[in-house]
Amino acid sequence: MLVEVGEISHFTGRFFREAFRPRFEWRELVRQSFLNGYLSLPLVAITAFIMGLVLTIQSRPTLADFGAETMLPAMVSISIVREIGPVITALICAGRIGSSMGAELGSMKVTEQIDAMEVSGTNPFKYLVVTRVWSTILMLPLLVVLADAIAIWACYIGVNIKGSVSWSLFHQQVFDSLVFSDVLPALTKSIFFGLAIGIVGCYKGVTTEKGTEGVGRAAHSAVVLASLLIFILDLVAVQITEILGLN
Amino acid sequence: MRTEDTPEVGAPTNISPDAEVVIAIKGLCKSFGEKKVLQGFDLTVRRGESVMVLGKSGSGKSVLIKCIVGLLTPEAGSISVLGEDMLALDQDALDRIRVKIGFLFQSSALYDSMTVRENLEFPLRRHWIAQEGSDSEALVMEALENVGLENTIDMYPSELSGGMRRRIGLARTLILKPEIVLYDEPTTGLDPITGKEIVELILRLQKKYGTSSVIISHDLNVAKLAANRIAVLMDGRNHAEGSYEELYAMDDPQVKPFFIFM
Repeated sequence: MLVEVGEISHFTGRFFREAFRPRFEWRELVRQSFLNGYLSLPLVAITAFIMGLVLTIQSRPTLADFGAETMLPAMVSISIVREIGPVITALICAGRIGSSMGAELGSMKVTEQIDAMEVSGTNPFKYLVVTRVWSTILMLPLLVVLADAIAIWACYIGVNIKGSVSWSLFHQQVFDSLVFSDVLPALTKSIFFGLAIGIVGCYKGVTTEKGTEGVGRAAHSAVVLASLLIFILDLVAVQITEILGLN
Repeated sequence: MRTEDTPEVGAPTNISPDAEVVIAIKGLCKSFGEKKVLQGFDLTVRRGESVMVLGKSGSGKSVLIKCIVGLLTPEAGSISVLGEDMLALDQDALDRIRVKIGFLFQSSALYDSMTVRENLEFPLRRHWIAQEGSDSEALVMEALENVGLENTIDMYPSELSGGMRRRIGLARTLILKPEIVLYDEPTTGLDPITGKEIVELILRLQKKYGTSSVIISHDLNVAKLAANRIAVLMDGRNHAEGSYEELYAMDDPQVKPFFIFM
């Protein structure tokens, strides 16, 4: 366990050393951003919609008991923007992107494709790892913003299932309750979630051993470890925002 | 492979002993944990020469060529390729010299997320400066014509047979026109007819581009058809060295078993 922590730290250090040095693989970065960002949109969108709707429907009775039903848009939107949106989106991406990176790079490793890339004079770390990690770092915040927007829209639908609130009133209630210090920490931690997903997926992939069995193990352990890291990072982020007085 | 057949092509025979040394390996040692794989291996390859390293499975043949190209780092010894000390080069210099070294993997190692065209274009795109002024489409077509597989250009590796994959791997290896080509078990896993076709293709392309070769194999048919010289790797060292005929005539009890079916 400690050895793996050390190896992942070393791998992360190498990422930061290589990430800002030319040559930059723009074409591969765009391709990976498309695969990891654009192709994750449907899953993230559907999950965000259901999440917003369910949260609204389930919160209504409790708020109604306290006569605070009008607080529903504010409560749901703050929950989504600060916590649920970034964490659920990151968990979805850990499952979809982490497993795909682990399996793809693992398969490339065991079939000597990574060696072939290296002997052709291409730095596989730069081409395969740096581009993938950058793509998750860049795409996660965008996916989180989109997930938040869809979940809030679903909240509007949920509010109107048993009531009647106009879009302009709902909009005002949501944006009156949200402040900059709700959005900034959430987006900042989503960048770190993206880093964790990319690093873990790539690390598990390029360290794959023992053939096809190893590929399966790499995909599985990438998801488990990335998900665990997301919760740990979330806990750290909460503590930091608490210390900085952003709560 | 029918060994009594006379190949249409053969290994170049006119290698001068004064020809330039392109690969010089001295006292190479490599271990994995307690297991000592190479224990002082020496090898010299001259320009235009085709040298085969013969050895049993697990004797360290693949480890040897991975050390030559810098995929593995030996614990001791020296490797000089085209006059460069491979163990002293930084990453950029290593990448530059790797362009002059082709490597045909046993598994062909085609990028399975790319089509045949993209597989062949990949090294060209990576080293575009070296190919400035060249038309990549023409180079890709030339490489495919060389291996007789022009019709596979838009296919994915998963749609190709083992022999076709090996040919495309060879086309990708040769597309940058390397000075040295390292072949890792080029006929393993292929039927005898396809194996012979691959060897003849290797020889034809070797003559066309004037490359020097190191062929790793345990297949003596490859040795007979393709090698000027054979080095027998045993217990991590050169156990014997010579032409096919010289090794065949040896009474060495450790070399004799290689020729048992010949």
